[in-house]
Amino acid sequence: MAAFLLQYLPIVIMLAIAGVIALALMGAAWLFAPSRPDPEKISAYECGFNAFDDARMKFDVRFYLVSILFIIFDLEVAFLFPWAVSLMHLPHPAQVFAFWSMMGFLGVLTVGFIYEWKKGALEWE
Amino acid sequence: MMPSNLLQIAAPELILAIGALALLVLGAFRGNRSTLLVSILAGLVLIGAAAAAAVAPLGPIFRGGFVSDEVSRFSKVAIYLMSSVALLLGERWLNRLRAGQFEYPVLILLAALGMGMMVSAGDLISLYIGVELQSLALYVLTAFRRDDGKASEAALKYFVLGALSSGILLYGASLIYGFAGSTRFVDIAHAVHTTAAPVVLIGLVFLACGLAFKVSAAPFHMWTPDVYEGAPTPVVAFIAAAPKLAAMVLFARALLEGFPDAIDQWRQVIMTIALISMAVGALAGLVQKNLKRLLAYSSILNIGYALMALSTGTQLGLQAMLVFMVLYMIDSTGAFATLAALSRDGKPMETVGDFAGLSQERPTLAIVLTVLSLSLLGLPPLSGFWGKFYVFKAALAAGQWQIAVFGLVASVPAAFYYLRIIKTMWFDAPAGRTDTPAPDAQAVAVAAGLWSLPLVLVGLAFLDPLAALAARAFGLS
Amino acid sequence: MDKQLLLIIFLSSPLLGALIAGLSGRRIGDKASMAVTTGLLFLSCALAWNTFYQVTWGSWSERFTVELLPFINVGDFQSAWSIRVDTLSAVMGIVVTTVSALVHLYSWGYMSDDPDKPRFFAYLSLFTFAMLMLVNAADFMQLFFGWEGVGLASYLLIGFWFKKPTAGAAAIKAFVVNRVGDFGFALGIMTVFWMFHTIRFETLFPLIAAKAGTTWHFAAWNFSALDLAGFFLFIGAMGKSAQFFLHTWLPDAMEGPTPVSALIHAATMVTAGVYMVCLLSPLYEYAPNARGVIILIGAVTSLFAATVGMMQNDIKRVIAYSTCSQLGYMFFAAGVGAYQSAMFHLFTHAFFKALLFLGAGSVIHAMHHEQDMRKMGGLWKYIKITFVAMTIGNIAITGLGIPFVDWGFAGFYSKDSMLGVAFAAGATQPLGYFAWVVGVFVAGLTSYYSWRLAFFTFNGHARWGHDAHDAHGHDDHASHAQVETHGEPDAGHDDHGHGHGDHKPHESPWTMLVPLIVLSIGAIASGFAFVHYFVGSGQEAFWKGAIFTGANNHVLEQSEHLPVWVGLAPLTAAILGLLVAAYVYLWREGLGAKLAARGGPLYTFFYNKWYFDELYQVVFVNGAKALGDVFWKQGDQKTIDGLGPNGVSWLMGQFGKGLGRLQTGYIYTYAFVMLIGVAGLVTFALMAWVR
Repeated sequence: MAAFLLQYLPIVIMLAIAGVIALALMGAAWLFAPSRPDPEKISAYECGFNAFDDARMKFDVRFYLVSILFIIFDLEVAFLFPWAVSLMHLPHPAQVFAFWSMMGFLGVLTVGFIYEWKKGALEWE
Repeated sequence: MMPSNLLQIAAPELILAIGALALLVLGAFRGNRSTLLVSILAGLVLIGAAAAAAVAPLGPIFRGGFVSDEVSRFSKVAIYLMSSVALLLGERWLNRLRAGQFEYPVLILLAALGMGMMVSAGDLISLYIGVELQSLALYVLTAFRRDDGKASEAALKYFVLGALSSGILLYGASLIYGFAGSTRFVDIAHAVHTTAAPVVLIGLVFLACGLAFKVSAAPFHMWTPDVYEGAPTPVVAFIAAAPKLAAMVLFARALLEGFPDAIDQWRQVIMTIALISMAVGALAGLVQKNLKRLLAYSSILNIGYALMALSTGTQLGLQAMLVFMVLYMIDSTGAFATLAALSRDGKPMETVGDFAGLSQERPTLAIVLTVLSLSLLGLPPLSGFWGKFYVFKAALAAGQWQIAVFGLVASVPAAFYYLRIIKTMWFDAPAGRTDTPAPDAQAVAVAAGLWSLPLVLVGLAFLDPLAALAARAFGLS
Repeated sequence: MDKQLLLIIFLSSPLLGALIAGLSGRRIGDKASMAVTTGLLFLSCALAWNTFYQVTWGSWSERFTVELLPFINVGDFQSAWSIRVDTLSAVMGIVVTTVSALVHLYSWGYMSDDPDKPRFFAYLSLFTFAMLMLVNAADFMQLFFGWEGVGLASYLLIGFWFKKPTAGAAAIKAFVVNRVGDFGFALGIMTVFWMFHTIRFETLFPLIAAKAGTTWHFAAWNFSALDLAGFFLFIGAMGKSAQFFLHTWLPDAMEGPTPVSALIHAATMVTAGVYMVCLLSPLYEYAPNARGVIILIGAVTSLFAATVGMMQNDIKRVIAYSTCSQLGYMFFAAGVGAYQSAMFHLFTHAFFKALLFLGAGSVIHAMHHEQDMRKMGGLWKYIKITFVAMTIGNIAITGLGIPFVDWGFAGFYSKDSMLGVAFAAGATQPLGYFAWVVGVFVAGLTSYYSWRLAFFTFNGHARWGHDAHDAHGHDDHASHAQVETHGEPDAGHDDHGHGHGDHKPHESPWTMLVPLIVLSIGAIASGFAFVHYFVGSGQEAFWKGAIFTGANNHVLEQSEHLPVWVGLAPLTAAILGLLVAAYVYLWREGLGAKLAARGGPLYTFFYNKWYFDELYQVVFVNGAKALGDVFWKQGDQKTIDGLGPNGVSWLMGQFGKGLGRLQTGYIYTYAFVMLIGVAGLVTFALMAWVR
């Protein structure tokens, strides 16, 4: 049992280090950073939110749409990395199959991209 | 792996996928002017997929992740055809409300694709993909009328609860994978056969709960009445029919292929779900005023019967389930088609009171709805009776007479609410003039009514051997 | 013509008439339906007389049965629709069809104001058909069929004016009381079938002698089997013939139209009980105890009905009680073994009682549907023919005649015969003396109330003018029991009906007078014309074995050789009654009213019909209601419905509502339910696993 649990020790250590670093950075900012707000600093960001306000507020759905569309293509790239790494280690027939599989995947994404473009989802107005 | 064979086996789904993408692009370029064209093409795609499914060769592909067998063929044909009916209903209905968009047929195609995946799923991954593809399409379809508050609310509930159920399903799947070391059903069956531990049972229960949500079995039915009430009527007709069959087949495959040796354990769970479903469906329907909600409870009740058939775990039970689901799909679609056909002053008629005295003004639809209600109630010799007949026969043959008796008892209060519809239509004073019924929906309703009464007697002669053949696929006793 | 065909026409023509008038009366109109039914009835009547002639003097002297169709054939239980022809059925046939035909004719006039004439005539013909089925039955099954058929027709006709609540109530009363009798009758039939394995009279009668003396054990008692069967069958007769205990329906049946009263509740249906006892003479001859009961009940009925009849003020009720009383006579005559005498009185009684009723109907018609005798008086000047006819009827019923010449009206012969046999039977059956004493006394009472009716109605001062109120105002104290009657609805559309003093009484149309005249002839002549055949020396040749007389039964011969004073007693009593009535209502007019006003316990007792209605109300009606209440409210509503349908549906409604409440519409509730479901199922599955 102990041996089994020991396998997870690195994770615990990593969690601990992450926690310590996060707390240290937040504490340092609280201790050393100057806080001099001026109208420019506290004005709304580009996304339209006030810097210091209630988080439960209405916001334009277009922000949401853009972020969603972003995430889709963001994750698409995330899929490409393991594929790219392992593709060259495959035997030949499988390599062909794997290649065209990814092409099919990208094709589907492209269709989605065409759709959102033509629907005007990428235009702000 | 033979790519040619692969393409043949996956042909129905490939047709659907490529068709859906092509139509999406077409629609995207041509805009809403192309709605009718896209609908027609989507219908052709569905029919083509059904034809391809009917002749698809048998066998597993993708290392057993995708299976083509008699059950999947049977189910796919039924599902694709029912989807094309939903296409027909929805296209005109939405146009009448000026809500027609070319995405509707595309979404139907994608949902059908998801259902095709579900019935062919040979491992937990493809199971999940199928379920999600289908569900996401249905969420969007539910909210298809974006300006309708009720529809949006229903879709949000459906989505959030669907996400929850997906979570439960995934949790169960990961427990099973953790135990068996594989996501393939055959490997899982092997692992369970060697050693069975409580952890895999917990995983199984979680999986069953996730799937029970998809078939709207109690106590995972809570979304059903709200979604049925809120969603556009043709969409409800769609949700109430094909996805139920797909999920039931998936349910059967996951349990019978993945856990054949744990049958004594999961039978208890399925029976419990079936009992609760029948009780909830029969009793809660009693107090409903809205006909769509009422039909929602009716569907919960009927899923109880289907689960009763599944819980036998026998070939006879599987056959009964398939026959029952097909007959139920037709009845249910017919009932919703009647609702879709009728309107008063341009507004859909949905409460039971709206149907008062309908027999005087719209005798055809009143007769159809009467026939369908009697069929759902299980009056011989209508189709609903035969479905239940198969189920009870299977349950009795498996020695599960207790649950059969419970099912019979549950149909008594259910009879009340079906009869109340009939009584309202035939004996109450008319509630006012109705608009001219939509011809397409009326045609679907009449066809379903005709099937329920005379045609089923002939149709059953074809349905029975097909279902029997399909049921043989799992190699059950 | 073929006799079979004649008989079929005889039996079926009333049915045909009933069907035509009943089913298409509206289409063919009033006149046509009346003509069809009446015509067919006269045809049937003619055939009945032909049958009687053929049986008595002609070529049909052998008894025979015409089988028409099989009815019920189950094992030994063999029954067929058939026509049994013998002297008994022939006599009864002419009684039924003659009176019925005359009543049909009479109704043309009497019912002329009624809007529902086809229905009325259809019912009358239907009744006649059922009665003929009863009369000509060859087995118990058809007898029972006819029995119920006449009951049905009686029910329909009593309630003919169904818009009048009292008529409906009376119809139901008649029906219910008759059910009690029919229950006994059915038991009797079953007993017979159990003993003899047959219900056919022909097969049954020869078997009876062998079974005489059979006894059955039940609990601690021994029952003589035949007595038991006879007793049960007599219960049926009691119901139909309104004998003591089951008589209460008959006076109320006067709610029906008067022709109906004449036909059904005087001449024919109510005598069915007597007919049945005579028909079953082979059985009753071997059931002495049952006959004892018959004598007792008959005598008591005659006394009871006569005492009540004396005090009634409703003209029809007086005659109704008179009928009841006369039926009592017939029963004790049959009880002592003189079935011939009973049948003879049945025969003559049919004529004079129908005459009296139709005469009363004519009076009522003349008085614009007024039935209360206190509002009549002095009518003879206005309706002379009716007056004469009623007088003839009264002479006949009171049995007046000239003793040593041996000539009189009908009742003189038949009543003398019955009392004679009762006295003669006294030698072997002490109840015979009892019956005789009662019979003689009742003869006096009969005379009193019959003549009281006549004098009250036709003589004295007219009390129907404007002074009517003073005349009877003080007479109304007695009882509410009388309030239930008075007045047939006068079809409500013509000139009369608003106050009785506004119009003078008028004589009835010829359609009503012809039957009166015909029946008057019958009332005069049916006695001396037939006495020889019915009870005289020609009786054996006449009856030809249709009535069975036991080896030791010689009452009929013995009654020919009785002391003179026995023969004179009834006449003396009748004359005494007549004199008293004349004194009270003729010479000292008004005395009757004064006596009535003074009341007294006996008067009140009689006037209120011995309080039978009240007694039954308390015991049976209220008792049954209370019992039914208990079963209904406690048993059915609370227990069965409460735990059964209502309780379950309530429970289901509650469940449904509960589930509906769970359906809050909030996602977190739904998710909560789902998670509870998952947790519950996991728990359940693990428990099942461990097990």
